[in-house]
Amino acid sequence: MLGAIAIVGPEASELERVSPDTRSTRAVRSERFGSGVPLACLEVLGRSTLDRVVGEWRQIGVDAITLLADSCFASVREEIDQSAREFPPTWVEDAWGSVPQILKHYSECGIDAAVVVRVAAHIETDSVEAVRFHREQGRPVTRAFDGEGSLDVWIVDTASTGAGEDVGAPLFLEDSARYSVDGYVNRLADPSDLRRLVADSLNSRCQLRPQGAEIRPGVWMGEGAEVDRRARIVGPAFIGRQSKIEEQCLITRSSNVESNCQVDYGTVVEDSTILPNTYVGIGLDVSHSIVNRTRLLNLERNVTVDIGDPGIIRQNRIPQEVATRQSPFPMGWGRVGFTQNAKISLEEGQDV
Amino acid sequence: MLISRPVVILQMPVQLNLESARTFWQELEPLLECHRPRVVLDCSQVTYIDGAGVEMLLHSLEEAMKRDGDLKLAAVSPESEVMLELMRVDRVFEVFKTSEEAARSFGAAPVEAVVPEGPWYAPVFGDVEGLKQAG
Repeated sequence: MLGAIAIVGPEASELERVSPDTRSTRAVRSERFGSGVPLACLEVLGRSTLDRVVGEWRQIGVDAITLLADSCFASVREEIDQSAREFPPTWVEDAWGSVPQILKHYSECGIDAAVVVRVAAHIETDSVEAVRFHREQGRPVTRAFDGEGSLDVWIVDTASTGAGEDVGAPLFLEDSARYSVDGYVNRLADPSDLRRLVADSLNSRCQLRPQGAEIRPGVWMGEGAEVDRRARIVGPAFIGRQSKIEEQCLITRSSNVESNCQVDYGTVVEDSTILPNTYVGIGLDVSHSIVNRTRLLNLERNVTVDIGDPGIIRQNRIPQEVATRQSPFPMGWGRVGFTQNAKISLEEGQDV
Repeated sequence: MLISRPVVILQMPVQLNLESARTFWQELEPLLECHRPRVVLDCSQVTYIDGAGVEMLLHSLEEAMKRDGDLKLAAVSPESEVMLELMRVDRVFEVFKTSEEAARSFGAAPVEAVVPEGPWYAPVFGDVEGLKQAG
């Protein structure tokens, strides 16, 4: 049986350098955009990387999935909760510190191996093949690598870990096997990587596909999206669900307008990303930028501008059904979510 | 003889929003009322500019051009450049790195420029006086 643990938390390399005595001083790298939301939790072409990872696990039949969010991201909890549509994460004080206990619980439930992923990069690899490789190697831990170095992806024998061990110890064993990822990897280390991922997907340079219908070659539209007949969408481009493109707009050059956005009359969006729930005003020229509600990041100049003028850009009204969605789990120990294949269950509120 | 008109360099406020744009316009407007105004707006202190600020700049430029003058921007920060581009007015203004560069750009020729020998019509009609004397 196979389990999986997804972590929205600080970078693993920070844990490797920090001694057990100073675990509380872990640093949080800024793979975030402005507001502090991790890039992997931002909606890209209709779905966040986090959501895609969990979705893939369900698709391949992983028996148990645990989704943890570290309290260091508590300030953007709402956005992270909304980014995981499969089921929202369980918030814990120390996500990495919870891993050994979860692995021990998996072992007690008969799950012999678990995939542990810090959700940050977009990685295209065959998970089943990776697990098979791990089992062939016969080592307790296998870590994924690509040409640029290590990735925060491990496959762990659950029996080799135990509660009470140092945080991260099961994952950072020196004799761990190395699994080479040959597929597409985008580390989403900074916002320009987000644009690169979008462009690579829209130009079919990776396997990532936009959510929605390809209404004509190179142009995808999500459910409920509206494009005025006098607007021009020049592919490749993506218009997210429930978004509106008004008259005389031009959306072009691998631009993506995510869900619940409005691009108002006559605005040009070129080589740019409009993140969810954003209104873009009349007659503007958005180029080489990422726009998130009231914040614009110009990638050419590497400059972020907070725009207080609601006539230019602002937060769009969030649909009620999204605004009221909350995580059913309080902050505490991880709550395991089981797929249909699981033959074990947990009582409500049972500690992991 | 060519005369160089004075160029006025004016420091823009730190934040150019509706309120500060109105205040600044009161300071700028008298400078635009002369014939052929030449104004440089030093933007080195500007940290924020919004739609109202851009409107004020456009109006200023319009007023300057009505009187056959010009208005140029200097030391625009990257953040302000982003806003000007966003609102599609980046190509409307001439932008320079420093106020001095902007001021120099107004002068087609300095006061001490070389005065050509002979009258202006000589290259066209030749030595008319010589012809008169010969005739």
